[in-house]
Amino acid sequence: MLRKIAMAAGLMLAAAAVTPVMAQDYPNKPIEFIVPWGPGGGSDTLMRIVGLGLSEVTGQPVPIINMPGVGGTVGLKEFAKRPADGYTISQIHEGLLTANKTGITDLDWDSFIPVALVASSPQYLTLSKNDNFKNLEELKAYAKANPGKVRAGVTLGGVPHLHMAMIEDALGVQFSYVGFRDTGERIRALVGGNIDIAIGDVSSASEFVKNGDLIFAGVGTEERTAEEPDVPTMKEQGYDLQMAVTRGVVLPKGTPQPIVDKLADDLKKAMSLDDIKTKMKNAGSANVFIGEEDYKAYLEKLDADVTKLVGKLQG
Amino acid sequence: MLDAFFQGAHQVFAFDTLIYMLIGSVAGIVAAAIPGFTVTMAIILTLPLTFAMEPLQGISVMLSVYVGGYTGGLISAALLGIPGTPSSVATTFDAFPMARNGEPGRALSLGVWASFFGTIISTLVLIVAAPPLAVVAVRLGPWEYFSLIVFALTIVASLVGNSLIRGLIAGVIGLGLATIGPDPMMGRPRLTFDMDLLAPGLPFLVVLIGIFAISQLLDEVEIHGKKVNHALIPKSIDFKTWEVMREVLMRPVNLIRSSLVGVVIGALPGAGGSIANLLAYDQAKRSSKTPEKFGQGIADGVVASEAGNSATAGGGLIPLISLGIPGSAVDAILMASLMVHGISVGPRLILDHADLVYGMFIALTVASFMMLVVCVASMRLFLRVTDIPKQFIVPTVMICCVIGAFALNNRMGDLYLLGAIGLVGYILKCLDYPLAPLVLGVILGPIAETNLRRALMSDGDWTVFFTRPISALFLAAAVLSVILSIRSIWKAHKKGNGNKDALV
Repeated sequence: MLRKIAMAAGLMLAAAAVTPVMAQDYPNKPIEFIVPWGPGGGSDTLMRIVGLGLSEVTGQPVPIINMPGVGGTVGLKEFAKRPADGYTISQIHEGLLTANKTGITDLDWDSFIPVALVASSPQYLTLSKNDNFKNLEELKAYAKANPGKVRAGVTLGGVPHLHMAMIEDALGVQFSYVGFRDTGERIRALVGGNIDIAIGDVSSASEFVKNGDLIFAGVGTEERTAEEPDVPTMKEQGYDLQMAVTRGVVLPKGTPQPIVDKLADDLKKAMSLDDIKTKMKNAGSANVFIGEEDYKAYLEKLDADVTKLVGKLQG
Repeated sequence: MLDAFFQGAHQVFAFDTLIYMLIGSVAGIVAAAIPGFTVTMAIILTLPLTFAMEPLQGISVMLSVYVGGYTGGLISAALLGIPGTPSSVATTFDAFPMARNGEPGRALSLGVWASFFGTIISTLVLIVAAPPLAVVAVRLGPWEYFSLIVFALTIVASLVGNSLIRGLIAGVIGLGLATIGPDPMMGRPRLTFDMDLLAPGLPFLVVLIGIFAISQLLDEVEIHGKKVNHALIPKSIDFKTWEVMREVLMRPVNLIRSSLVGVVIGALPGAGGSIANLLAYDQAKRSSKTPEKFGQGIADGVVASEAGNSATAGGGLIPLISLGIPGSAVDAILMASLMVHGISVGPRLILDHADLVYGMFIALTVASFMMLVVCVASMRLFLRVTDIPKQFIVPTVMICCVIGAFALNNRMGDLYLLGAIGLVGYILKCLDYPLAPLVLGVILGPIAETNLRRALMSDGDWTVFFTRPISALFLAAAVLSVILSIRSIWKAHKKGNGNKDALV
């Protein structure tokens, strides 16, 4: 019964959404923001800030609904069923692509309408303090001499695994992987000396680097980052690797184009608010905004990269 | 240093901060008192509010929610026999019988005072010993965690109730339930039978609410059918606030031991309050001269559980303050709120933001006094709950449980699971299976598995579990614990106290 009511309501909303009048006064009620991850994590913190900005621009509340489970796919599955009227939005990142390629979920980035990329956290190859290597070249030499000896902390089948596989591939070495749930857990193990290398980011590891407990050996961006100007990029060390976790806002398939455009517009305004910019930066994200078309192109390229490396993720 | 201290104190003792903290304290107590609503939920609700506050002000408010929350759980544990939060499971063992025996006021007072002292003791440890403790905690690898969990599993022996075998079966059912869903390492589905319902696994809180709350509520309905007098609280009630305080303080060994258990477990990232209360209870029972009285409404049981869970508040802050590593989900949210303000939480926090750290110490102390005042002032109000006839209270609590289970992950499927688990819990209860070992299995199973696999991924050699000293220590403690349990059960059996069921 409940489902029938919900379906009827959904159909009515969907019908209402296709009338062009809607786009002009969109949004005129709260926008639900489904974050398919638990509270306190990177996605949650960043998307709460995005939600704050969006709410400031639109004048409508943007409640965050955490819907974690199975690598972010439970929330997205639910999101895909929501009416395509612009009043439910969600977030994706590289994790969805790896989850899809490794067979965890049927959903893919093109199961949704990418609206805008709003956050990008550069990823750093992070080394523990040890006697064997202190930088990328020494790591390469040591790992070549001792195949499988270097313990690399990753989230198995997740984005860090993808990044570590890219490094392994580029250096032509072999690590042994140890699985962790999130970046915080990995960095903890790295500080405690229970693993040797890991993928980290500014928000979780830079304080340890400043304190001399950990070493950033390379960052996966085109140019050195403003936060860590002393850390060389992977590219300038001879390995053209792009390693970042990028987060973008998506809408369900079938959302009318005027609404997509309006939301992209509002997001752009939100992401250029000074207060929001500062908060995003504090939470470890570069201030980026990539609109609809470019975001789509970006995801297509990413898709090709992930497909190339997927074999490594299942090994 | 003194400068930073006064700066911190100045911020915490600002009038508006105190008012916000008071509101936070009440909110934490109320949220935790309602079965199904958790402290984490209350903290998440406060998170966006703190974006607009000063960093220390925001943290202070969150800490008062936190401290209030660790206490509030005891209210429903004592009055309804339902743990209000995962950390008050052991509180139900003795506080509920005590309340049913006509001493609900004493049960509440005992719990409140034990919580208060537990928080204070943990704050002291935090101030004095945070950096060295944190260094030890972070060095512990997967080997130590696995061995610790093996040790923690042996406390099932203290929780079995009437029958060892049934207790062990319940524990194994718990371990089995925990394997449903994505595996903790690769995220591959296990035992999900391709059902969307089972794909995300059984969330621990859903199991807890289902097992304890639903079965207890069904039980209440059953007793009501038999027309048992349900006015369980005498009209004139005496809390004997000061007398009970002395009663708690007269148990210094239990109080300090339980608090230290809470601090240590709290300081280990990933363990937390849901284990601390059970471990503290177990230790109190084992070292008691009258272990057979545990579970029938003994003061020591209430004190151990409540001091143990409240002490995890200070314990969890140990790795957060000294290293910037959150000890629990709640600490992760605290950290996120600081990060948004541009405060980098890491090993240099004490050096770079001394005023903030001292402010947190002060706020924790202030929060525990606030919790005490709020609880003492409002206990009579909470007792009113028991005046409400069952036909109103049972459905109300049931609704709260359902809302809470949904709010946890916003997944509809969790509610069907809640119903199914509640039914299983009720059946087990009817068959006289103890429920605590099952819940313990669900909590510990995934931690044990994750760390076992992680240990073997780091180093394929099994002997590492025995050659790393702390790991070996935990394993030895586990063996000792099993031997002692067998001995005490055997002794009880030999006494021939007529309970032939003891081993069967």
